Amino acid sequence: MSDPHNTTPTADDPHGVRKDLDGTGLLLVVFVAVLGLALANVGISMKMGPTKYTLVVQMAIATVQAGLVAYYFMHLRHGDKVVILTALSSLFWMGILFVLFMADYLTRFWVVG
Amino acid sequence: MSIAVPTGGAVAAPPPPEPEPVPVNYLNNGYSIWSWLFTVDHKRIGLLYLVSISVFFALGGLFAALVRTNLLSPTGAILSEDAYNRAFTAHGVLMLFFFLIPAVPGVFGNFFIPMMIGAKDLAFPKLNLASWYVFMVGAMCAAWAVLVGGIDTGWTLYPPYSSRASQAAVVPGVLGAFISGFSSIMTGLNIMVTVHKMRAPGMTWGRLPLFVWALYATSLIQLLATPVVAITLVLLMAERMMGIGIFDPSIGGDPVLFQHLFWFYSHPAVYIMILPGMGVVSEILTCFSRKNIFGYSAVAWSSAGIAVVGFLLWAHHMFVAGISFYAAMLFSLLSMLVAVPSAIKMFNWTATLYRGSITFHAPMLLSIGFLVLFTIGGLTGLFLATLGTDIHLHDTYFVVAHFHFVMVGGMVLAYMAAVHFWWPKMTGRMYSDFWSRLSAVIIIVGFFFTFIPQFVAGYYGMPRRYPNYPAELQWLNVMSTAGSSVLGLGYLMPAIYLPLSFFTGKRATANPWSATGLEWQTPSPPHVHNFDTTPVVVCGPYEYSLGVDQQGRTLPPPPNETNAEPDAQKEANGG
Amino acid sequence: MANAHASPVLKHHFEDLGQQHACERLGMWMFLATEILFFGGLFAAYTIYRMLYPHEFEIASSFMDRKIATVNTVFLITSSLTMTLAIRCAKLGDRAGLIRNLILTVALGTAFMVMKGFEYAHEFHENLAPGKLFRAEYAKATESVAKLSPAAAAEYFKADAASAHPAHAHWAAELALKNKAGADEVVDSGKVQMFLCFYFVMTGIHGIHIIVGLGCILWLVYEAATGGIPPENYSTVEVVSLYWHLVDAIWLFLMPLLYLAGAGMGH
Repeated sequence: MSDPHNTTPTADDPHGVRKDLDGTGLLLVVFVAVLGLALANVGISMKMGPTKYTLVVQMAIATVQAGLVAYYFMHLRHGDKVVILTALSSLFWMGILFVLFMADYLTRFWVVG
Repeated sequence: MSIAVPTGGAVAAPPPPEPEPVPVNYLNNGYSIWSWLFTVDHKRIGLLYLVSISVFFALGGLFAALVRTNLLSPTGAILSEDAYNRAFTAHGVLMLFFFLIPAVPGVFGNFFIPMMIGAKDLAFPKLNLASWYVFMVGAMCAAWAVLVGGIDTGWTLYPPYSSRASQAAVVPGVLGAFISGFSSIMTGLNIMVTVHKMRAPGMTWGRLPLFVWALYATSLIQLLATPVVAITLVLLMAERMMGIGIFDPSIGGDPVLFQHLFWFYSHPAVYIMILPGMGVVSEILTCFSRKNIFGYSAVAWSSAGIAVVGFLLWAHHMFVAGISFYAAMLFSLLSMLVAVPSAIKMFNWTATLYRGSITFHAPMLLSIGFLVLFTIGGLTGLFLATLGTDIHLHDTYFVVAHFHFVMVGGMVLAYMAAVHFWWPKMTGRMYSDFWSRLSAVIIIVGFFFTFIPQFVAGYYGMPRRYPNYPAELQWLNVMSTAGSSVLGLGYLMPAIYLPLSFFTGKRATANPWSATGLEWQTPSPPHVHNFDTTPVVVCGPYEYSLGVDQQGRTLPPPPNETNAEPDAQKEANGG
Repeated sequence: MANAHASPVLKHHFEDLGQQHACERLGMWMFLATEILFFGGLFAAYTIYRMLYPHEFEIASSFMDRKIATVNTVFLITSSLTMTLAIRCAKLGDRAGLIRNLILTVALGTAFMVMKGFEYAHEFHENLAPGKLFRAEYAKATESVAKLSPAAAAEYFKADAASAHPAHAHWAAELALKNKAGADEVVDSGKVQMFLCFYFVMTGIHGIHIIVGLGCILWLVYEAATGGIPPENYSTVEVVSLYWHLVDAIWLFLMPLLYLAGAGMGH
């Protein structure tokens, strides 16, 4: 069984857990980015007002934020294959939920013939 | 790690000596009530599940008996209309949420997944115990609902009836289903992590027993579908108690949305119920026909296929509920699609039986019953997936008969087969061969008499869930009720001879059926940590043609008809 | 699998710590997948109603308190940072740093809940909650503008749009005026309530998740203080952090859907 998280102790890492240690600098950069995007989202929404595209812009920003959180804070960048698959499959199944719901609601009022 | 796979020419390792019965096994390792209630041993938790779901099965059966007895007369024989509503709802809720869903994953998944993959326990033993407690809390809520008068909405709980009109104990019942859902998620999560991370050396995905594949697919559905129904039930409770009406038409809500969310879980949930059964029969058919499974990867991947495709077709329950025509067409097509992986399994099992040395012990009889009944259930499903015929058959007894063929004929038979197959391993005792075969035959015969008439009644238009029906259909209903009493008798017999065997049965050898899986390589009953040393797997799970188990050792001689006959005769004469 | 060095944190049924950590992480991720689908059902329902009733959802959203929501967003994102720093400290064996970061996280999460509590209190004070409260308040407002002519009602919005600092009318008054003015679209008060249903259910369930998370982190503080989290047991911190980050990420979607849908509409 291949195990990417095998803990091999070394001299400066007595417990073999420091291989994937986060740098403080990187964490701060990600933090600033996520925070900046959040404030940008508020600002842009106030400026745009409710137009056709507001929701698209808002969701795009939120998705980037969630992606940053998942990749850096939730350590998906160190995740083994099955962890990444789990994360993606939850999104895939949510996709099924949305697409097939829409298949009903978007076509419900179409006139036949 | 290099592992030699024995080929036709290689000489297999000698058969393992019969392991000494260990003085301390998982059963006699502590007798106090706390040693059971606070156990984290997956085997004991499996038995806790076995006992509790047997109780719920009996209760659910009792309500079924009430329903069937009431239908003896076209105007309702014993129950008031309101009591009838409560009886069939209780039957549905108990059987679905508290028997069918936890049955095989809770009992046999917990007990045998770690043993089959060569692990000491599931990945999260405490979570496993918690899942049983959560399950029992859910069951207590359901019991509370029954005790304060029952629910009259049907197990599908559609609003606005369930959210506004019903005067019954909807909230406790919904709470019970909601809570037991968490138990289901916990079990599924545990099994998935265990299969991913705890396999013994050499146990590759291609060497997993098909039961493990089936349970893995089941767990996937449990994990991804159950939360959706959980939020749906929360919304329903919020609507009923606090007036937060997401499905309330008076503030623009759409009750059909509830049906969408509900069936997003509840349709895949039928695969939660049937997939483990498919895994069970894959184990049993190979063992009792002494043949390798035909098309291992086809059977394995069709389990995964069913798990995924099963999510795409829920709205065939809603063809007449007012969904869009175009969506109905799409869902009809997708519903047909799930017949493909099911048929793949069916053909492969049939091919496995072809020219096998078949012996008809109880597990095998029940599995063959599964094949026949599941095929009928599956094919009648196609009638219902077809838009035109569904308009006629929707919400009739045809539907009732269809899903009972799959759920009772398929799943309950597979569950009974699993009980009979693994009973010697779980208890260390053999049950009566004669009585078990007899009960298997009675169950199958009783089943046909119960549900074939319902197809006919449904085709004539008898609606489900109505206490009254036209007098012309009485003969069909009487026949069905008569059949159900035979069926009930068949279920009662194991309830007697299995517990009896626990005290008086012959001691089982480690591998009484001469099966190949790792779970048969430990003594019966197994010790506390399953294996003395971590087993090393060298070949696939069904090497019956080579006659070797998964560790590459020769199998003991199989039990055959001539050996079993005198036993059966003796007991028949004696009893 | 050679390094089966007996560690006090290694559980009996695992081969080694690597396997144990991998199991814990995968198990938590699978749980998160169920959480995502749990909220996914809500998001799907929201999407459908927003698609059916876009106008009412925007107007209802404009009544929400964006200031509190923005501050709360800052709290949650910061708490995610401190939580991740806590893992780093745990791996380095820096127990004081671990406890400090965990307590900071708890403080930020608590601040979030306190703000949320004020927000709820304010909404209930204004009867901005679906059901009886809403209907009574709206009926009162409709009655009070009954005598107004449509033109006079429309005048109110014109004046409002012209001023740099739009007036903060009470929500019920504004709804009643809008309908009285007979603008391009009638605002259905039922569908405004539908938005409020989503608002309370989504933020309520999210809040329950925050409270559960706070409980878990407090338990970690206790464990760390009593020496239960040596470096090789850092994964305990990590699995809690995974949960916490998910709750944070869900808020990042709730914020635009609930508070920003009607941003820039004069409130």
